[in-house]
Amino acid sequence: MKRMSSLLSTGRSCGVTAALLASLAMANHAAFAADPIQIGVPVGLSGANSVVAPSVVQAAQLAVDEINAKGGILGRPVSLEVADDGSGAAGAQKAFDSLIFEKKVNALISMETSAARNAGLPIVTRGRVPFIYTSFYEGRSCNRYMYVDAWVPDQQVAPIVDYFMKQDKAKTFFLIGSDYAFGRGMLDFTKSYIEKHGGKVVGNEYLPMDGSDWTSIISKLQAAKPDAVITSTAGGAPNVTLTKQLRAAGVKIPYGNLAVDEGTAKSMGADAQGIYISGSYVTNIDTPANHAFLAAMQKRFGADLKTPNDLSVPEYEAIYLYKAAVEKAGTTDTAKVIPALAQVSFAGPRGTIQMDRERHTPLTMYLGQVQADGSVKVIESFKNVDPGEQCPALK
Amino acid sequence: MLNLGLDVVTTAAILFIVSAGLLMVFGVMKIINFSHGAFLTIGGYATVIVAHAGLNWWWGVPCALAIGFVSGMAVERFIVRPLYARPLDAILATWGLGIIVGQIITLIFGRGVQMVASPVDGAISLLGTQYSAYRLILVGVALLIALALGWLLNGTRLGLQTRAVIMNEALARGLGISSSRVRFMTFCTGAALASAAGCLITPLASVDPNMGVPWIVGAFMLVLVSGSSLVSLAVASVVLGGAQVLVSTFINPVLGGLTIAVLAALLLRIRPEGFARG
Repeated sequence: MKRMSSLLSTGRSCGVTAALLASLAMANHAAFAADPIQIGVPVGLSGANSVVAPSVVQAAQLAVDEINAKGGILGRPVSLEVADDGSGAAGAQKAFDSLIFEKKVNALISMETSAARNAGLPIVTRGRVPFIYTSFYEGRSCNRYMYVDAWVPDQQVAPIVDYFMKQDKAKTFFLIGSDYAFGRGMLDFTKSYIEKHGGKVVGNEYLPMDGSDWTSIISKLQAAKPDAVITSTAGGAPNVTLTKQLRAAGVKIPYGNLAVDEGTAKSMGADAQGIYISGSYVTNIDTPANHAFLAAMQKRFGADLKTPNDLSVPEYEAIYLYKAAVEKAGTTDTAKVIPALAQVSFAGPRGTIQMDRERHTPLTMYLGQVQADGSVKVIESFKNVDPGEQCPALK
Repeated sequence: MLNLGLDVVTTAAILFIVSAGLLMVFGVMKIINFSHGAFLTIGGYATVIVAHAGLNWWWGVPCALAIGFVSGMAVERFIVRPLYARPLDAILATWGLGIIVGQIITLIFGRGVQMVASPVDGAISLLGTQYSAYRLILVGVALLIALALGWLLNGTRLGLQTRAVIMNEALARGLGISSSRVRFMTFCTGAALASAAGCLITPLASVDPNMGVPWIVGAFMLVLVSGSSLVSLAVASVVLGGAQVLVSTFINPVLGGLTIAVLAALLLRIRPEGFARG
């Protein structure tokens, strides 16, 4: 600053401006010559998550670009270190090890499968870095260094069940899922929620994750004559085969799908029409923040844009939450950043996000219905749904 | 009860359709064609191409047959033919081919699930119950395939030569039958059938680069217990497919998925020729 003012006082006309610009550029350069803050993103670029992972990386890139354009965090530039976790435990161990101990990242912020997250957590504990998990999941995963800014069953299931009970007077439910942690976790919660609210579960069936023949389960469903069906399969193929076979069998009762996102719904075409979904983000959210976000994504990625979704938007917001926490703490020191993460908030595409409930986040949830053209129409929104008791032991 | 019966019949029909091409290749060539799943996938994507071209879904069937036949020609000539004397290497080669085909499809179409509209909608009334119209259509299709293959094998000169090669290849060659031509035609027919099957299951399955994989194990087991006979394949489909439906319905669908493999292994232990006439 001293040098700039001396230039201002002595210089004249355009020579001054040029010098001023040069010095500004230098000042800027000087700031960015500081050690960058590195954010590690272990994500499933291959394997089960490979369809959605690119959208998550894009969201992270946009957040980092925006932050850097405005001077970084505490004057330090931000850089991304993306590592493939192979969507599973073995890959996650390698990815976390290399990000934490070789690249020495300041924080980990990413969407992953539950298997990958569980494999990575012990490494996070050993490496003592803040970890913001940005994927919706089956809930109750607790670690001193972890925060979650996406939904858990307590938040997602209620809108669908409540709506079926109120709107369709549904009393009996049939539940179908893929046989793995997320599928079973979601449906166990759904079952207890239905029973707590006076409904009855008349069937609860699972197929292995790679199963594709739902014949006998659908016959059981038809024999049980439920008022509504709720499914929680693995994403992608199992979800599509189940939906197609339900439609081919002429099942017309209200159908809530806990595992479908807008992209998959689109790829299912006419078969997806009428399906109810519930999530914290749909592209149709009509707020200035969401419009601005979508426009920025479109501008940054153009034709390569992967449609933003309920897994990529939390990633974008989490990077801003980390920025706010570091600025509040005044340092990237983990011991100071961890408590700060619960105290800061960020107004993003999904609304104002604050991870202040036992490391989890109250979220506005949207109940949507898939339309004939594959888009999702928001039927009802539920403000600030609480994640419930997730990690009471963590303070 | 009626629904259960229909489940058994339609499941058997689907298994028969998916396995028929593999049976042709295994029966004549004694080669385990591990790229069978890849040909199923090719058929599924042929349906996607037809849908993108704006044609009716049913055009997918001849289209898949043609694409399957042509790719079968290339695969037989360049990959399978040099390995006739080395069946174990042929397993590896066709397995590798399956991976390559999957990756090529991923490069062209991407990893995601493709959209294909269904040719018929929903359920129809049958004997006082509602049942999936498309699954019932598949029963007819399975019968058609069985009749067509039966005619091909028993009513044509090529079929006569094929049967001769199946029974005793050395003797057939001694009689002047070109066994390499028979093998070529059989492999192409098998590939075309697999591809058509891939198209036919699209209304019930997801079209993605791995769509063939879940079907492979079941198809292999059925073919192993059927030898080289279409009739035994039909019997095996009904018995093992029926067992799968019953186990899924009355015990547990997770176990149901294992039924075919476990029963086939047991059967081969007790009766090595399986359902084929000893």
